[in-house]
Amino acid sequence: MRRTQGDHALKASFLSAHGYDPGPSQRPLLAGAISGVLATVPAIPILIALGSLRVEAMILGQSTALTLLVGCVAMAAAGALYARVFGRAANNFRGGWLFGMAYGFALWAGGAVLVLPILSGGRTPAGVAALGVALSMLAWGLAIGLLLPFVHRPLHESLEQGSRHAEVGPNAAAGKKRPIRQQRQDKR
Amino acid sequence: MIRVISLRKAAIAGLSGAAAMELYAFLGSQVGLSSVDFVRQLSSVAFDHSPFLTHASALAIHLSIGVCWAIFYAFFFWGRFRLQPVLQGLIFSLIPAVLALVIVFPELALMRVHADAITVDPASFLAPLTLAAAASVLVGHALFGLTLGVLYRRPVGYPSDEKPDRPAARRNTPNRAKRQEGSASFMFATGIECSYPTIDHGRWRRDEMQSTGHYDLWQRDFELAREIGITHIRYGPPLHLIFEAPGRYDWDYCDPQMQELRDHGPEPIIDLCHFGLPSWLGNFQNPDLASPLAEYAGAFAERYPWVRFYTPVNEMYVCARMSALDGLWNEQLHDEGAFANAAWHLASVSIRMSDAILERRADAVFINSESSEFYQPCCPDPHVRQVAQAANERRFLPLDLIYAHPLAPRMHDLLLQQGVSQHEIDRLGSREVPRRSILGVDYYEWNERLIDSHGQALALGELFGWYVIASQYWERYRRPMMHTETNKMDAAGAPQWLWRQWHNVQLLRQSGVPLVGFTWYSLTDQIDWSIAMSEALGIVYPVGLFDLNREPRTVGLAYKHLIELYRDQPDYAECGALKEIMH
Repeated sequence: MRRTQGDHALKASFLSAHGYDPGPSQRPLLAGAISGVLATVPAIPILIALGSLRVEAMILGQSTALTLLVGCVAMAAAGALYARVFGRAANNFRGGWLFGMAYGFALWAGGAVLVLPILSGGRTPAGVAALGVALSMLAWGLAIGLLLPFVHRPLHESLEQGSRHAEVGPNAAAGKKRPIRQQRQDKR
Repeated sequence: MIRVISLRKAAIAGLSGAAAMELYAFLGSQVGLSSVDFVRQLSSVAFDHSPFLTHASALAIHLSIGVCWAIFYAFFFWGRFRLQPVLQGLIFSLIPAVLALVIVFPELALMRVHADAITVDPASFLAPLTLAAAASVLVGHALFGLTLGVLYRRPVGYPSDEKPDRPAARRNTPNRAKRQEGSASFMFATGIECSYPTIDHGRWRRDEMQSTGHYDLWQRDFELAREIGITHIRYGPPLHLIFEAPGRYDWDYCDPQMQELRDHGPEPIIDLCHFGLPSWLGNFQNPDLASPLAEYAGAFAERYPWVRFYTPVNEMYVCARMSALDGLWNEQLHDEGAFANAAWHLASVSIRMSDAILERRADAVFINSESSEFYQPCCPDPHVRQVAQAANERRFLPLDLIYAHPLAPRMHDLLLQQGVSQHEIDRLGSREVPRRSILGVDYYEWNERLIDSHGQALALGELFGWYVIASQYWERYRRPMMHTETNKMDAAGAPQWLWRQWHNVQLLRQSGVPLVGFTWYSLTDQIDWSIAMSEALGIVYPVGLFDLNREPRTVGLAYKHLIELYRDQPDYAECGALKEIMH
């Protein structure tokens, strides 16, 4: 338990110290999930055109429709993760596309190249189908990188609402410490 | 945004790096080396029926990948290590090289297989990777990295003899509130970071307004300040771009912004000289600065007669120390005498600018912002105590000069040694300080310092706090005061810091000090803040109320909360001390 808290704190402090942490008025998980699904729009035609979807369905032993559905759910999760990890960097109109492509490349390398063969007993797409998988992931990454700043903006809370969060109010002067009375009770 | 990068430089570096890599592969194949040519690898996958199309498209893809990697380098890698740029590029090239070896190269081999799917294991997957191929990939990428390192540097700023693009034109946006002129409410302020010192011995100009995108987004910046509830904004039009020569001004660099501030606010506190000079004036060792800068101040006051609040010279002590003692900006000297010279010149400039403004606007209000520093000896060692005492005397020198306060004997002697006459010192010492002068006291977590046993200054953090340090300044000068700068580099801890500073402000007011305003500095994140802009790295520090995408930071929300909580309280809605000054 202690270790988990420490890891979480380490990650949180890294993100916030570098200013990536989104803050209370933003909704990165929702924005990332929506963007992740929307970004499949340019990726799916590539998968279909180069025969990759059919090959992946065959390797997984599922229908193409189910493979597509599972893929969209996975991409929603991947999108949420992307928006949370990259935080404010992913909100950047100038650089977002690059972070997205880097993330798409990482998903391809980690997922399609390394994990898929492990899950399927070593079976992996080859030939043009393999090219299709790689291109579709790069296209997905590019699309989520471009889309997220636009999807995220309207999902923000207004400044008015955001400024009402308790964590930004006067008690912030004491940091995240609990009331002294409660600390004494804990000691007992 | 995590970095300010130069897309143009990164694109050129990436293209060149990929081209160097491709040239190496081509020449290698010509002399019979077993070199890996990624262009050929790519081309044989998709376009094997048309040799021209094959090579052209594959080359384009390879160059594009080079550009992507270069931009990735610019965003994530550049400036992380304190190494020569060439070495940074070389180390970075290990990342694409390893990915090329273990992912891309084997996958390209898979893509050339004439089958839909095959069964692989780690050994068969990596089988195409021979020792010769691996060496070739590593050498190719090393060339890419070296080229990148050589070509990509200094992503922010510009050569000091050049000018950036002019600010964006003003958009007409109706239905906005008018500026509240002559208000005597407590000043809830922020600022647009506007430092413009030179580095590299005057050859390279840092320009924070350009780096933070303010020249393009200035109207949005003012809108955001208004949305937070900011009443006053510290604003420094770029002196180095506007003041081209005696009698010659390029007002295009501030006219649109000033018109917007005049019409809709926030009320500007105009900062006329912020750590830098126009190139033609040299640096702060120039003894003839006062007259031309007074001319500039007068011209500014004539052009914008509605402006009432001025900071003639920002943080004179910091400017003199960084330029002449720490050797980071402008003249880049490391000399106590040069520091005294710079401090004298800056104080003279501040006084002459104030006089020039008062000739045009007799009721102008001056907010003389200065960094509140404090040095504490670590032990009773006489040498350590002497170093701390000298540092404490040094921090007061510029303010002593403009506020006609008796000088510390050591500072007095230092000025005489630099050729300043007793008559000139006496003239300043007997001067009548303008009645409407406010002492601005800035405070950051490194302003309190410990002099260690070696005589070196170490940042203490918040040991005594702003209340105690500002009280020293109050006791010395007895001027109305304002908290004119603070922020926190750790974005998560910034709301706590904001509220704690605010409690310091309240306590000082309650103790009877006429305190007229508070400032979170600055509106947006800043660039290369922790290294005082001494190198053009482009690293973004999350100290702003908004990030560089102009999205609110948590401290921005906290400041809005604070302003809404206090602005209508009777002693803030009308600040007696400010009313007295404005009268």
